[in-house]
Amino acid sequence: MVLTALKSQIIENNTQTDNQRKKVSDNIVKNLDTIKSDSAELIMKRKELIEKFADSQKLALYKSVLQESESLNLYESGLFQTSDFLEAYTRIIDEYFHNLFTKSTTAREMTVSGSKFALVALGGYGRGEQCVHSDVDILILFEKKLPPTPNTESLVKELIYPLWDAKLETGYAVRTIKECLSMAWNDFDILTTMLDARFICGGSHIYSMLMEKFRTKLSKKYIQTSLNCLIEQSRKRYTDYGDSTYLLEPNLKSGHGGLRDYHTILWYGRIMSDIRCRRDLERYGFLSHDEFKTLENSLMFIWNIRNMLHCISGRKCDQLHFEHQVELANLFSLKDNHGHKAVETFMGELHSKMDSIKQINLMLTEDIQLSKRARLFTAIKHATNYKGIIVRERRLEFDSVEMIPRHPDLLLKIFVESGRLKKPLSIEARRIVSEFSYLIDDTFRSKPSNVESFEEILSYSLWEFNVINVMLTTGLLVKFMPEFSLILNKIQYNQYHLFPVDKHSIRCVQVINSFRESNIKNSISKVDNFRENDISQNKVQDTKRAESNQSNLLYAGIYRELRNRKTLLMAALLHDIGKGDPSEEHSERGSEIARNIMVRSGYSQSDVDEVAFLVKHHLFLIKIATRRDISDEEISVFCASKIEKVPLLKKLYLLTVADSIATGPKAWNGWTEALLRDLFIKVMGVLKNRELATKKAVKNIHRKKEEVLELNRNGYQDSSLEQKDRKNCNPWDETLLLKELDSMSRRYLLYVSAPEIISHLNLYRQLENRDFLWQIASDDNSDIRTITICGKDKPGFYSKLAGVFFLNGLNIAGSQAYSFGSNTALDIFKVMPPKDKIFEHEKWEKAEREFQQALNDDSFLDRLTDKLPKSIVLQSCQMCIPNEVRIDNETSSFFTIIEVFAFDFPGLLFAITNVLYKLGLDVRVAMVATKIDQVVDVFYVKAVDNGKIDDTKRQDEIKHAILEALPLITGHNS
Amino acid sequence: MKKIEAIIKPFKLDDVKEALNEIGIQGMTITEVKGYGRQKGHKEIYRGAEYVVDFVPKIKIEIIVKKEQADEVVNTICKASNTGKIGDGKIFVLPVDDVIRVRTGERGADAL
Repeated sequence: MVLTALKSQIIENNTQTDNQRKKVSDNIVKNLDTIKSDSAELIMKRKELIEKFADSQKLALYKSVLQESESLNLYESGLFQTSDFLEAYTRIIDEYFHNLFTKSTTAREMTVSGSKFALVALGGYGRGEQCVHSDVDILILFEKKLPPTPNTESLVKELIYPLWDAKLETGYAVRTIKECLSMAWNDFDILTTMLDARFICGGSHIYSMLMEKFRTKLSKKYIQTSLNCLIEQSRKRYTDYGDSTYLLEPNLKSGHGGLRDYHTILWYGRIMSDIRCRRDLERYGFLSHDEFKTLENSLMFIWNIRNMLHCISGRKCDQLHFEHQVELANLFSLKDNHGHKAVETFMGELHSKMDSIKQINLMLTEDIQLSKRARLFTAIKHATNYKGIIVRERRLEFDSVEMIPRHPDLLLKIFVESGRLKKPLSIEARRIVSEFSYLIDDTFRSKPSNVESFEEILSYSLWEFNVINVMLTTGLLVKFMPEFSLILNKIQYNQYHLFPVDKHSIRCVQVINSFRESNIKNSISKVDNFRENDISQNKVQDTKRAESNQSNLLYAGIYRELRNRKTLLMAALLHDIGKGDPSEEHSERGSEIARNIMVRSGYSQSDVDEVAFLVKHHLFLIKIATRRDISDEEISVFCASKIEKVPLLKKLYLLTVADSIATGPKAWNGWTEALLRDLFIKVMGVLKNRELATKKAVKNIHRKKEEVLELNRNGYQDSSLEQKDRKNCNPWDETLLLKELDSMSRRYLLYVSAPEIISHLNLYRQLENRDFLWQIASDDNSDIRTITICGKDKPGFYSKLAGVFFLNGLNIAGSQAYSFGSNTALDIFKVMPPKDKIFEHEKWEKAEREFQQALNDDSFLDRLTDKLPKSIVLQSCQMCIPNEVRIDNETSSFFTIIEVFAFDFPGLLFAITNVLYKLGLDVRVAMVATKIDQVVDVFYVKAVDNGKIDDTKRQDEIKHAILEALPLITGHNS
Repeated sequence: MKKIEAIIKPFKLDDVKEALNEIGIQGMTITEVKGYGRQKGHKEIYRGAEYVVDFVPKIKIEIIVKKEQADEVVNTICKASNTGKIGDGKIFVLPVDDVIRVRTGERGADAL
C-alpha cells in the first residue's frame, strides 16, 4: 500500500512545479522512513530472506539467487527500495564469498602453507552499489608472492566459476600488494578501482597493508596527478559519450550527468580525504547539505531506472534506448496527462536528475581546479563595473551578501558582468543567487534597467561561455521569466528534437549570437558534430566546408545589416515558449505568451508586435521551403506579402536558421539549408522589387477581387462583345469564382481591370477542349481592336500569334501575355484593324484558321521570316537610335527579363518572339508598348529547364540573335 | 519483385505518399538527396554575392513491390508528382532478387 502511494506521488512529483515538487519529495523521504521504521513486516521478510541465504549449507540457493531470474524477482518483489536493493544485493554476494571461503579446501590449504590471501571487492561491487546486471570485480590479494599457478587456478575455480555459472559478469585479478601499487600508478583505471576497494574476507591484515601503503603513496606525491588524471578522464568521457542531460538516448552510466559523474565526485573525495562512504561527502565538506540531498535523490532515481532497465533488457545495458523508454515510463506508472506524454514526463525527470548530478560534478571540478590554480593567483579582489560585485580568484562573487536585499539588481548584474568579462560565477555566488531569487517580483521584472541587463545577458550568451545557461540552473531565469518554467526540461519524444525545449531555446539564442562572432564556422560545425575521418571523403568535405563557409558569411552579413537586434534575441529565446501548453498550436500560443512578456517588460508597441510576429511565424519559412514549390513566383509573393518588411524577413530568416541549427542535425543539413536560402533570396527579391507584394499592391488585389465578385453578382456582361459571344456568360458560382481568382497570378490581378477579368474568365470557361479561343472587341473611342486569346499554353504560342497578325498585315500596337490557371495562356493584343473594313470579319476568320495551322505545324511560319524587312531607311525627321537588347537577371528571382529597344516596324514583335521561341525560351509575361516609333518590348522568359538564364555566354547568344533578326537601321543622311 | 526508385520534388512528397497509400502501398523509404539532371543548378544573387546551387534538393523514394504492382505504382507516382515542368524527376524500376524479413526469416513476396 505504502508503495503504491509512493508511486503515485512520484507521478505527481513529475508534474508539479518547483515548490510542490520539493514538498512531494520531502513526503517521499518521509515515506521511505516509514517503510524503513514502521513496516516491520517488510523488514522481517527481508531478514528472513537474508538469513535464509546465510545458511551455509545452501550454496545452491545462492547460485539460484545470483541467477538472473532470482535477482529479478528479488528486485521486482519491491522488498528493497533502490539503495536498499543495491546494498542487499551486495550483501548476498558478500555472503556467498564468506561461505565459500570458510568451506573452500584450497583456501584452507593456502592459509596453512603460508600464502595467505584476502578477497577484496572492487568497482561498483566495492562501493556496495551492485545493480541487477552489474559486473562483480574481485581482487585476490596476496601479501608478497603468488603461490604456484595450479593452486591459484583451483582457487579461482572454486570461487569464481559458480558466479560465471550464475551468469554474473565477473572479473577477477590475482595480485600481490606490490603489483597492485605499481599498476595503480601506471593505469589510472586501476587506481580508481583501488579507490573503491572493500575488504570481503580472508587475511584482513593484507588488505590493511595494501590500503595503508596506497594511501601514504597517494597523499605523499600523487594527489595532484591523480586529480588531473581524473579531470582529464572526465573530459574525454564527455566527448566520447556526449551530454546525457540532453541526449535522446542517454547513457545512464558514462554520459555527462550519468553515474560515472557521481563516481568522479566520490573519487575526488577519496583521493583528497580518504572518505569511506557517500555520506562522507557532506561530512567532509565537499558538498553542502542541500547538494548532498539533491545528489542522493538523483542517484536513487537513476539507480532505480538502471535496475529496471537491466531487468527488462535482460543484460547489463546502460544506454537508455528509445524502445525501452516507453516501457520504463509505464513501469513507473506514469500516465499521459494534459497532452504531455508519460514518456516525455519520464525523460524530463530523468534529464533534470542527471543535470543535477552534472552540475554538482562541475562545481566540484571547478572547485578543485580552482584550489589548484589558487596557488598561482593571489586572492586579490578586483572591482567590476558594479559596486557589490567583485572578481576573486577568477570568479565573480558578491562583495557582501547584506547588499543584495537592498539592491536586488545585483542578482542580474552579476550575470551581466560574468558575460562581459567571460568569468564564471563562484559556487558560493550561484548559491546566493538561488537563495535570494525570491526577491524578484513584478516590479523587478518591469524595471527598465533590469530589462536592459537581461538583454545584455542574452547577447553575451555564447557557445564557449554560456551565461544564460548558468542563469537557468540557478533558477534565476525562471524567476525573471516565470513563463519559462512551462518548458523547463520539457522533452519532445521524437528523433527530431535532440534537446529539451528550455535548452533548445537557449541554444537558439547562442546560434544567433554566433552569427555576430567571426568564427561562426567553428561553432556551427561544433553543433553538427560533423566528424568524418575518411580520407576519401576529404574532397566532399572540402566543398561542403566551402559551402557552409559561404552561407555562414551570409548569416553574418545579414546579422550585421540588422538594426534593433534585441527583438531577434527575445524571439529566439521565446520562440518555443508555447510548447508548455499543449492544448494549443505552440506558435500561436507562444506568440500570446511572448506578447505578454514583452508588454510587461515595457517594450514599445512595434517591438512587441515584431516579437509576437516572429514567434508566431517561426516555422513559416521552413514549412514553405520544404513543402511548396519555391520556383513558383506566386509562393514567394505570398511569403513576401505576409512578411511585408525587409528587416522583418531578415530576422525571420535568421530565427529560422538558428532554430533549425539548435534543433539538431536532422533539422539542419545542406539539404534544408539550400532550400531555405533559395526561398529567402527569392522572397527578398520580391520585397525589394516593390511591385507585387507591397501593402498597396496587396490592398489593390484584394479590392480587385471584391470588385470582380460584385460585378459577377450584378450579372455583368461585357458590352463590347458581340451578341453571339454573350451566350454562356451566365454569372459564376461564387465559391468557384473565388477559387479561380485565388489561383491567378498577382501580376495579372494587379494589371487587369475587373470587367476584363470577368470576360477573360468566361472565355477560359468556354475553352474546354479547344486549342484556343479568341474574342475580338472594338474600342469605342479609337480604331483599335482588342483581341483576347485564351489557349493551351505551348512553346511558341505567343510568337505564332504575332506571326499570324504580321502575315495578315495586322499591325500590333501593344500586347500583354499572362499565364492563366494551369497551362493556359492568356494573351491580349491591341491591333490596328485591317485597312479593308468591309471584309474585316472574313479577315479575322482567316487569321483564326491560320493560327490553328501554325499551332499544328511549326514550319508554317518559317517562310514568314523572309518577309521581314532587312533594313529600314529612316525619314529625315526621325532620330537614329540604335537597336538595343538588355538582359536583366537581377530584378526577378524567377525570370530573366529581356528588354528590347528597337525602331518599330510591322512584324517587329514576331521577329523578336520568333527568335526567343527558336532559342527555346518560354515567354511567360510580355509587355509591348510603342512610344511613337521607338518600341520597348519587355519579355519575362524562362529557359526550358524552368529557370533563369545564368550563363553569360548564353545571354550574349540571345542578345546577338535578337539583334540579328532586327533590320538594319539606316539614317536619312546616309 | 521490383524496386521502384523515384526522384521527386520535395514539396510533392505528401501528394505522392497519399496517392501511394490510396493504392495500398504500406511502406517506403525516403531520403533527402541532392543532384541534377537536365534541370541544372542555378544561382541566386544576394548583395552581389552569388549563391550557386549546383545540386538541387530532391527526395528519393524507394519501394519494393510485387512485379504485377510495379506499373500501378509507377503510374501513381508519375501522376502525383507531375507539375508539368522540368525537374519533376525520374522513376527507375529495378529487378529485385529476394527480400528477407530479418525478424522471421521469411523470404520473397511474403517478406514484403
